[in-house]
Amino acid sequence: MTTAIDPEKILRDLRDLWTQLAHDQSGPGGVLRACSMTLIVVAEHDDALDAEQARKTIGVLMHGHPSRAIVLTPREDGEFSGRVFAECWMPFGGQQQICAEGIEITADSEQTDEVARLLVPLMAPDLPVVLWCRGPRAFLDRSLDPLFPLANKIIFNTRAVRHPSSAIEFLRRMQKDGRQVADLAWTRLTGWREAVAHLMDASPDGWLAAGRKGSVRIQHGGARPGTRSLYFARWIERALPGMNVTLSPVAGDPGMHSVVFAGESGEMSIRLAGTGSLEVRTGDRVYSALLPPDSEECLMREELSILGRDPVFERVLG
Amino acid sequence: MPDSNPFADPLRFQRQVPDCAIVIFGANGDLTKRKLIPSLYRLAYERRLPATVSIIGTSRTAMSDDEFRAKMHDSVKEFLEDSPFDEEQWTGFAKSLHYVAGDLSDSALYTCIKEKLAALGRTNVLYYLSTQPSYYAEVAEKIGAVGLGHSDAKGWQRIVIEKPFGHDLASARELNQRVHAVFAEADVYRIDHYLGKETVQNILAFRFGNGIFEPLWNRRYVNHVQITAAESIGVEGRGAYYQEAGAVRDMIQNHLLQVMATVAMEPSAAYEPDAVRDERAKLLRSIRILSPEEVPLYSVAGQYAGFRHEPGVDPASQAPTYAAATFFIDNWRWAGVPFYIRSGKKLPKRTTEIAIQYNMAPHALFSPGEGGVTMRPNLLILRIQPEEGISLRFLSKQPGSGMRLRPVSMDFNYGSSFGERSPTAYETLLEDALTGDATLYTRQDMVEASWRVVAPILEDWAKRKCEFPNYEPGTWGPAAADEMLARQGHEWRNS
Repeated sequence: MTTAIDPEKILRDLRDLWTQLAHDQSGPGGVLRACSMTLIVVAEHDDALDAEQARKTIGVLMHGHPSRAIVLTPREDGEFSGRVFAECWMPFGGQQQICAEGIEITADSEQTDEVARLLVPLMAPDLPVVLWCRGPRAFLDRSLDPLFPLANKIIFNTRAVRHPSSAIEFLRRMQKDGRQVADLAWTRLTGWREAVAHLMDASPDGWLAAGRKGSVRIQHGGARPGTRSLYFARWIERALPGMNVTLSPVAGDPGMHSVVFAGESGEMSIRLAGTGSLEVRTGDRVYSALLPPDSEECLMREELSILGRDPVFERVLG
Repeated sequence: MPDSNPFADPLRFQRQVPDCAIVIFGANGDLTKRKLIPSLYRLAYERRLPATVSIIGTSRTAMSDDEFRAKMHDSVKEFLEDSPFDEEQWTGFAKSLHYVAGDLSDSALYTCIKEKLAALGRTNVLYYLSTQPSYYAEVAEKIGAVGLGHSDAKGWQRIVIEKPFGHDLASARELNQRVHAVFAEADVYRIDHYLGKETVQNILAFRFGNGIFEPLWNRRYVNHVQITAAESIGVEGRGAYYQEAGAVRDMIQNHLLQVMATVAMEPSAAYEPDAVRDERAKLLRSIRILSPEEVPLYSVAGQYAGFRHEPGVDPASQAPTYAAATFFIDNWRWAGVPFYIRSGKKLPKRTTEIAIQYNMAPHALFSPGEGGVTMRPNLLILRIQPEEGISLRFLSKQPGSGMRLRPVSMDFNYGSSFGERSPTAYETLLEDALTGDATLYTRQDMVEASWRVVAPILEDWAKRKCEFPNYEPGTWGPAAADEMLARQGHEWRNS
């Protein structure tokens, strides 16, 4: 059954929601409405659990990035409906409850054009718009395309895609078309990349020499390299173009397992050492480096803190 | 991270603190257990310290490394701010803690520290003076005497000095001279923790990151500025110290003049340590020095009833627990605008804020009417503590028929708009010192300029006998402070 959604009614519902929240607040401080962007989240097709997970993640993200969140759940049954919700929390030591607002829209995937038109008046005015496509569907069909022009930044996650090279190619094309894109698979590499950059800081001359005729061996889990390993290899090639970079599979979970840099002055390696840490070896020195947490919330928090251009990722894609 | 690193990604990577050692003098003291070690633990927790960092505590008390670790464990658990304590994380962090016992006046202590640094293989060293101020120069000299303290190709050597930097201009100069005999000025980090507070840093973002405020930030629109640092508590066991220091030395000469400089300085050409500090220093040099005749008119000393009964306080003490002063800045932007500064103990509430009062609208278009309010000037409040944020007060039409106005407030609350935890001032400043960023530290010329500003007040107060006590605890200070503003047609913002 198709039901038209009236954006005016949704905005009215939002106003009523705020009035209700202010009435319900028992303390003297009132409710503080906070909004720094519109965050549009596309949940997976016909997946109520995914939409629920998206809402939970948004609830955590709101603390650092209070937003007007719009959760879009595509369905096949022709339903087209909308409702409003609020995420509230009491900050540490604070006296005033803070709330951020949300809108949930369920729509047939055939109706994305109509959804895109509906979203325009619902977006918080004068603030950035971030579109987050949570699953691999954005790479498989084109029904989400009408949403892309609405956003200043589009965040994908290529972790579970079947064809990593095609997914990267897709992102490259989008970037070429002038869209600002991000990939949580790239965000997951921050800890690894930081460890490499710190090695470089410790011995810049050795690195620059190695960059001219050294080699890098990247080991990844799974039979084929995923997007993370491909990004990592390309990042090194872009930074030190003389390096001979090779990728090889090892047994274990998909993703990065180790990277070994070899040059005239010796070897340096970074290996995954259990959950959440890396073992770094350079000469006689061995130390461990903690990886940042890689929960969806943490990765999104990092991406939402970069609303302008991301030149390093652009170079890797470009 | 140097620009030459082709792997650099400043948008995403944390600033990298290099392998280094931190030597804390006075490791058994309050500052170490309440601020320094909890801040270093938190930096480690957030992966902002290298796993290889070494922290060497020194004090007179005999203690093993393990005893020191146990003591610091309890301190971190007790004093960690807005943050959970993680035992597993602590276990890793505790391995970096070491302890060397010794007397600050004994050269053997410095030889032990040198040997410890050599054993740990550390060439980058941050010395933190968390001792009695009277030891500052001696500690610096003794560090130099064992061949430490000079940055070279092998590594840097920096020293962090807590305020007070001297007790007057002459002693500040002498301290600088003795410290400079060992450490270059670029390696001397004079810490003023007010400058590390997020809201104080945000003053620069507010002024120079937005286009709409700076055009109104001058004598044409600003009527006057009030800077208040009020404490509801008394001297809390620090009577002996406070009796010597007093409110001017404890708060105004350092914290509040630095805040005033941040509020009133000109924009720097770049956000770089020396560029920003040059502007702050220039502003401090522009503050008009009061003549002996002006001091009684533009400054007020106060002491709360009961101070003289505090432990360690002379029953006839003339130390001010309250100080207020009017300063003028002799430059093009601020000529004629009074900056009122006050700080006191046992005031009605704990608050630190800057209130910028704008001129009234030039023509009173709206009459007060029944139940309405008279015209009021706009007020911009920059709150530093306890609820960090910015408020703008303006008049708005009251809903309903007729044109009645009432004041409303537009609030930006730091903690609410950015719900995530902000780093404490000590976390920010320690990380800055470890990465060589001195933007938020005070330079020698700034210290000397601010001593020059308060010198006439201190000299005048030292000469005359004040009628103390002159205010009751829980009030906003002596009546003379209200009179000082009333003479200019102003009143304190006591709310």
